[in-house]
Amino acid sequence: MRHTLFAAVAVLCLLASSTAVAQEKSGNKPGFTLRPGSAKILLIRPTIRVGAQSTGGLFEPNADWTAQARDNLGAALAVAQQQLGNQVIDAEEPIGPAAKTFAGYRALFSVLADSVIEYQFFPGNRLPTKKRKGSFEWTMGPGVAEIGRGTGCDYALFIFDEDQYGSTGRKVFQVFAAMASVSVKSGEHRGYAGLVDLRNGDLVWLNADQAMGGDVRTVEGAQKRVRQLLEDFPGSTPPAAPVVASATGQ
Amino acid sequence: MTPRLRRLALLGVAAVFGVAASAPKEPLPPYSGAYEPQTVDERGLWMQLDEAERTLRDSAFVLKEPGLTDYVRAVLCRTVGADRCRGIRIYVMRDPEFNARMAPNGMMVVNSGLLIRVHDEAELAAVLGHEFAHFEQRHSLHRFQHDRSMTDVVAWMSVIAASGASYQVRRSAVDVANSAVGSMFAFGRDEEREADLLGAKYMLAAGYDPNALPDIWNRAMDEADATAFGRKQKSHRYDRLSFFASHPTSLERATYLRTLVAGMGQGDAGRDALQGAVKPLRGAFLADQIKLNDFGGTEYLFGQLAGDTWDAELLCARGDLYRTRGNPRDLVSAAGFYAQAIALDPTNADAYRGLGLAQLRGGDSHGGDALKRYLALRPDAPDRAMIQTLLP
Repeated sequence: MRHTLFAAVAVLCLLASSTAVAQEKSGNKPGFTLRPGSAKILLIRPTIRVGAQSTGGLFEPNADWTAQARDNLGAALAVAQQQLGNQVIDAEEPIGPAAKTFAGYRALFSVLADSVIEYQFFPGNRLPTKKRKGSFEWTMGPGVAEIGRGTGCDYALFIFDEDQYGSTGRKVFQVFAAMASVSVKSGEHRGYAGLVDLRNGDLVWLNADQAMGGDVRTVEGAQKRVRQLLEDFPGSTPPAAPVVASATGQ
Repeated sequence: MTPRLRRLALLGVAAVFGVAASAPKEPLPPYSGAYEPQTVDERGLWMQLDEAERTLRDSAFVLKEPGLTDYVRAVLCRTVGADRCRGIRIYVMRDPEFNARMAPNGMMVVNSGLLIRVHDEAELAAVLGHEFAHFEQRHSLHRFQHDRSMTDVVAWMSVIAASGASYQVRRSAVDVANSAVGSMFAFGRDEEREADLLGAKYMLAAGYDPNALPDIWNRAMDEADATAFGRKQKSHRYDRLSFFASHPTSLERATYLRTLVAGMGQGDAGRDALQGAVKPLRGAFLADQIKLNDFGGTEYLFGQLAGDTWDAELLCARGDLYRTRGNPRDLVSAAGFYAQAIALDPTNADAYRGLGLAQLRGGDSHGGDALKRYLALRPDAPDRAMIQTLLP
């Protein structure tokens, strides 16, 4: 009996899917600076998934919320970069052989970002080559210049965002679970943003957050989310110029 | 827990969660022209898969050769009918696994591993019909909804099991949770059976050979046995269902499909059509299969592909299989296969390359001559520099 109970608790822990919280959230290539008002940035179609979290912890994708988040985040991002003086250009969907290259680098970036989060941001799990203090050496290789050809962009910006809003059932379940001294997490909000130098392929900045605020389904919430995503963005000097003072700052 | 108590508990669970299981009936079949997904769940699922398809479409693993994709489309259209297949996007994927899948949004993915395993067009039609049936019946959506209900049950029961309730209650909660987990897998197996039967209906109506249906599963079992034997593992049993099995066993499928087609006679097999369509890419597909490091299964597969007559390409691939394993006796066998390939086709550069490498590795200096012949036959060989380092 004891071991079946134990198994049940183990299943529950799996359902709660508590992710290890990374201890560091962002990294900059040492010595890299972005002069404000100088950069043309190519925005790669962001990967956005928004939905609910069922009582049992399954992700329930929601088309409307995802569409809202895509619009709201896009608008908030444009405003934020405008205030930094940067120009953001949405990457076109390429056709023909260029499509394969583009898809390849998009896939490569997600692997790169996951590696940085796993092997650099979490100090206990750092690779031996990433242990030197202040080092941040990651690159996609110079071939990535291919995806910026003809756009005149110097940098590419990659964004990932996943939001799971705890359903009513999940919240009720959380309360009852707490009564049985079982900790259950309701909702999941994680994302990252990364900037790649298109001339040499180096990752110059990455910011990843496993627990973010701001409801991306609303305009204000998306602004808050973009503020968090672009925290420490090269060229932004937080005390002097808050990235987004207000959405209607014009 | 007594059976009565268990039944009561299950009834209670069904009453609480039954609401989600009885979704409203869907209006249109999902293949009808420009169908738009209807419910929140379906729209969410389609949105997710539309995004996935954007990525898959441009993947380096999707074959861009139009000939093969057009052929697969023609077989699907003949099987399920022109109006059903019109909106389907087909992607032939370079993946040696024996599989095909169809997403709820009408994206069909066919692995190269399936294309070299089916013997004829009728067998391909059987698999495509099965996948299309999953799509038409909205199986992914229903399974998602069922899984959601059942993980809800498991979550609640786990909390009860972890609470301070009495032994009886906790025991019952664990039993209910276990039944719910089992039900998720059983639900999936029921859908597979349903897709098998509807797919069979399609391919039979299209005039394909009925025997193709069970034959696939008979060979799948034989190949799995050969793989297990080659890896010195115990072969799977086909008469017993595992708790976590996603599909019915191959034996069960072969049996009920054999019963279904009993007495139906012969139909159109289309062996030449399939072989002709796959032929230009078969060498690459065979090379992928060799990289799986599955000597027993691959040897069985090559034997099946050859039938009574081994052609030069197959002999060469068999030589590669033996040379890759690389025991001294394998190198002798490999050299023999390459020599047979050369006898059939004296201009086969790959066979000379394999022969030369196998002979050199085995200490036979004649290998150098074969490698020279290889370079002469293929002046623009990509590995020219490497091969030249092996020559005196």
